[in-house]
Amino acid sequence: MDDLLADFVAETREMLEASGGEIVAWEADPSDRARLDTIFRFVHTVKGNCGFFDFPRLEKLSHAAEDALADCRAGRREADRGLVSAVLAIIDRISEMIDSIEAGEDHPDGGDDALIAALNPHRDALGMSLDEAHKSPETPQAAAASPAEGKADAAPKAARGASVQRTIRLPTELLDEVMKGVSDMVLARNDLARRLRDAGEHPEIDGPFDRLSTILAEVRSSITRMRMQRLEHLFTSLPRLVRDLSTELGKQVMVDFEGGEVELDREMIEMVRDPLTHIIRNAIDHGLEGPGERIKSGKHEIGLLKFAARQSGNQITLAISDDGRGIDADRLAAKAVTAGIYSQAEIDEMSDRRKHHLIFEPGLSTAEKVSSVSGRGVGMDVVRANIERVGGSIDVTTKPGEGTSFHLKLPLTLSIIAALTVGSGGQRYAIPRSYVEEIVFGSSDHVDFAEAGDRRLVTFRGKRVPCLALGEILGSEGPGSVDWASMTLVLIRLASNDVFALAVDRVYDHEDVVVKPIAPAIMETGLYAGTTLLDDGRPMMLLDLPSIAQTHRLVDEMRSVARTLPEDEQTEQRKARPVMLFTGLDGRRRAVRLELVRRIDTISREAIDIEGSRKQAVIDGAIFSLLGLEYGELPDKRCRLLRLSDGEHEVVYAVSEVLDAADMEGEIVPSSADPAVEGVTLIGGEPVPVIDGHGLFAAQGTARKAGRTASCRLPANSDWARTILEPLVEAAGYRVSTEAEEQTDVAIELVDDDSPMASPARHVIRLRPEPAPAENDDESIYRYDREALLNALKRARVGKTA
Amino acid sequence: MNDLLLMCLIAGRRAAISAARVQSVIEIDQITPIPGAPDFILGLTAMRSQALTVIDCQIALGFGGQDRGSGRRAAVVQVGGHSYALLVEEAYDVGEARSDPIEVPGGFGPGWQMAARGMVETDCGPTLLIDVDALVAGPVARAA
Repeated sequence: MDDLLADFVAETREMLEASGGEIVAWEADPSDRARLDTIFRFVHTVKGNCGFFDFPRLEKLSHAAEDALADCRAGRREADRGLVSAVLAIIDRISEMIDSIEAGEDHPDGGDDALIAALNPHRDALGMSLDEAHKSPETPQAAAASPAEGKADAAPKAARGASVQRTIRLPTELLDEVMKGVSDMVLARNDLARRLRDAGEHPEIDGPFDRLSTILAEVRSSITRMRMQRLEHLFTSLPRLVRDLSTELGKQVMVDFEGGEVELDREMIEMVRDPLTHIIRNAIDHGLEGPGERIKSGKHEIGLLKFAARQSGNQITLAISDDGRGIDADRLAAKAVTAGIYSQAEIDEMSDRRKHHLIFEPGLSTAEKVSSVSGRGVGMDVVRANIERVGGSIDVTTKPGEGTSFHLKLPLTLSIIAALTVGSGGQRYAIPRSYVEEIVFGSSDHVDFAEAGDRRLVTFRGKRVPCLALGEILGSEGPGSVDWASMTLVLIRLASNDVFALAVDRVYDHEDVVVKPIAPAIMETGLYAGTTLLDDGRPMMLLDLPSIAQTHRLVDEMRSVARTLPEDEQTEQRKARPVMLFTGLDGRRRAVRLELVRRIDTISREAIDIEGSRKQAVIDGAIFSLLGLEYGELPDKRCRLLRLSDGEHEVVYAVSEVLDAADMEGEIVPSSADPAVEGVTLIGGEPVPVIDGHGLFAAQGTARKAGRTASCRLPANSDWARTILEPLVEAAGYRVSTEAEEQTDVAIELVDDDSPMASPARHVIRLRPEPAPAENDDESIYRYDREALLNALKRARVGKTA
Repeated sequence: MNDLLLMCLIAGRRAAISAARVQSVIEIDQITPIPGAPDFILGLTAMRSQALTVIDCQIALGFGGQDRGSGRRAAVVQVGGHSYALLVEEAYDVGEARSDPIEVPGGFGPGWQMAARGMVETDCGPTLLIDVDALVAGPVARAA
């Protein structure tokens, strides 16, 4: 059942139970004003909630009861026994309907009107009680109403009760307490595990201990689930909001979500809903420009609103970014002066960043005119106050003409996070894994270090990113004493999309850690977000990467560095068609087109599962198809994997070593002997086989999905299209749709298929069943001409982006 | 006044911590240093699968860099929901306070004055009663 609906049912039930006593008391004394108020509140709330759902009958009933009770409250009517019975009958009916809603059934029709009619005061004047109304021949449907129906319903209702998932509400403090107990239990177990290891093998103890560990792990995960809710729940409600707002304001907005799997305390989700809504309103209303203005300034006419969530230690970072016009610092400053918040002299001394923060000052609005959705005096100051009230913080970064990002940091009451443990200066530190983009060895040939002023930069895969040595950050190593080539680089991507490289002595392992808060004096260093215990019982610090990036001013700097500079470089490289060189499991050199490589993973052998022809690898909790095994055996311990992506699917390809990135010097000479090889190219004067990306993905119809891409509609009623065409189209990077109504980028039609095209597509590709074209047909493609079809798809795609 | 006190030696002086605040006295064997943290925080240590912030009382009182005894004993206290291990030179026994903490004309000297709640009479003679909260806040916070 939908979560919102479940909440509605639970809330209504709770109110029903709570008002049960009130109802009885009211029945005893209809003139009791306090009871009347309680019951009025109940029907009023039910009526209000019904508005969110489509329950017209429920709404009508509660509305009628509310009206009658409102009359009593206003003194227009006396609450007498007849009214009490009528209201009670309605409340009973509401209760029955709630049961039906929870069971997902329709409540039997009929009887509502009689119940509502019973509220009518004139009935009392005529001397008719509710019971008479039921019996009355004038209202035959009433006979089928509550009493009889109630009985008929009783049996199935009891049976239903067993199948319906019952929910209870608990005070969150109790959950907190249980959760704390369980995480302490996990720590105690780790401690015990260490002692058992030290004591040597004890089969009679190890067995039960393992069982205890398994149970504890299960309990821990259920306890965590009790309070946590995936951010998706919040995200799912946003597209609708964005749609409504953008329609209202005549703008086109696309929404992008990232990190929906991040879990947050249920209560916290509710707390951020309003501030988030406000930020969205702001972004759409005055962040994003209208379509005309956007096209004029060279942007895509559809604005982009992006939500990205990440977890780091005790915090969730939620970034809401738009690609609109950005905040005009000077206009904001001028407003602040006009409003008398700051003097011109004070403003003159402010940095741009400081000026941007004026947006959080009370009494400031950047809206030129008050529109229907914003500029009504509830400003970002309220948003900030609300975020800070729940122990979070809010920050803003903006660039004129490019967009604005709001960064929300929200605390987590307790967290168990996936972490990467790294070493520096003989110590271990934990990094939240959600930040880790990639791990690169400083000694690799394709990593270059450079200096710009005092800022150390690392060039990797055509991108120049700032580089920090963990030893330097922590002050355990002096500047200049770092031997960069011996370091391992961890590429960090913050929620704000800022990237930097963190140089560490070595990377140890992935671990799930229980994060505990640290003493305020340590918190003040701005380096750590929490502490956790290693399995061997030693404490380990969890690094606060956003704060470190802030301290080293990487959050702002990155905007210019990562976006402008490397982009030119990359377009240049793309022309040269770069490939990544590696040695396969058989030790032979091969290459793969660099566009296909998303990242390089190193995982342990245990994370790979091979059974018959099924070969899969588990990375970060996701399953990927594993390829490249035909060349040899996997190494015993650490396996190097290339994660390949065609934009929509991801697979991993086992290699024994990643060599370098190189440019293809000439054309690829096609080879038909080996289907896994696209062809052979010359690199450094030597022939290197290039693996066939299309072939790889074509064979992986169900590989993991990633990102969104162009869409292609296939004929819905053709088996051939589904089994043969679909994998091919998907391998070409399209999302396949068979919905006739959907407007897609490309549509593929079969010439011999006479079903009409339902909805237009930007490009139409027609396939014919015969190799030779029919007369007057110079456009269609023979359906087994793979080359021509792929070319057509590619053309359509280029046409789309152009 | 018969408050129980944990008698210990800090910076070569006899000192006492209210026993009610002390959860236990532990022997510290391993400390994980925290680079970047203030001096008086030596690092973290684990006690029964719980991480404690280790505070060097001598440095916290402002007696930096002096020769410390070889003692590795620490009193475990809780301040503001966080657990700390107060590293002292020597931890003796629990004794009874024979008087209320009193001020001494002229004070107890720099450092001590900040973190001492006063002097108490004990069976072993006059002893300074240490204010745990002030000690944990560290020299910087107190000076500010």
